[in-house]
Amino acid sequence: MENLQEQSLLQMNLDYDGGHILHETARWSRFLSIVGIVGISLMVLVFALAGTALIAGLSALAPSVASLAGTGGAILILVLLIVFAALGFMVFMLYRFSVLTRRGIDRQDQAAFTEGIKCLKIYFIVSGIFAILGLLGNLSSLINLFLINRIHI
Amino acid sequence: MEEQQISPVSQDLDNFFNITFDTATRTLLRQAAVWAKIATICAFIGYGVTLVVAFIGRPHYTLQSDESFATTGATGAGIFGAIITVAIGAFINYFLYRFAVSAIRGVDAMDSVSANEGFNSLRTYFKILGICIIIGLCFLALASLVFFAGMGSSVRY
Repeated sequence: MENLQEQSLLQMNLDYDGGHILHETARWSRFLSIVGIVGISLMVLVFALAGTALIAGLSALAPSVASLAGTGGAILILVLLIVFAALGFMVFMLYRFSVLTRRGIDRQDQAAFTEGIKCLKIYFIVSGIFAILGLLGNLSSLINLFLINRIHI
Repeated sequence: MEEQQISPVSQDLDNFFNITFDTATRTLLRQAAVWAKIATICAFIGYGVTLVVAFIGRPHYTLQSDESFATTGATGAGIFGAIITVAIGAFINYFLYRFAVSAIRGVDAMDSVSANEGFNSLRTYFKILGICIIIGLCFLALASLVFFAGMGSSVRY
């Protein structure tokens, strides 16, 4: 009994403030995830209905896309599908984080709470990967800019 | 014997104490915070690169085949847009960075106060994102309204 008490004192507990803050965090993340799910669904719908028109429009703006449109846009569609799937998974994990964390706090369910934190981890892993890819894209645009400047000089 | 009445608020207060950050939860929270930190650092570097591209990419005037001039590179509007985007992005990501730092510190030192600070920053991060999305949706609704109103008036005349 004493051991148990000692263990609970040494452990890190979720206090009232932490619980209240996490509850509100879960509420906002739920809103974001629902908006995200609706947004991604709309994007998929628009792409499914007007995919060819979009590729044609993009090819008028960027010549590199025109070559893709020439090959049937298969690569572009594949890339977009992967991006949509990754975004959908990310948003779903955010939704699960909000639901499970809230359930864990409300029903004092340790397993649900841990599962919620796990979903938050997965959400941040996916967003971290997107951030790394975005940074690589930014760096490539910087390199392109320096190359263009050198050509102009 | 008189039965003791427990108010729902005090019951809620007790409920929070039954949730613990055990080893598994702490490990998961730490990993989440580490990835959040990676994402924010990448975002901050990206913002720096965006600003460099916006400022260094001065407009180049090239003579085209039809004897007109075409501009490539950054323009005033482009620089302004980049600054606004970077300012908003950096402001939002600052809270995510604070979450990452405080959560890692809290988990490592078994400090509930630091962990709570981290969760508070995470709450602010999600809140600002949510408010930005609400503002964006309002603008979208307004633009749609103007668009459909314009279509309606053009059909009438």
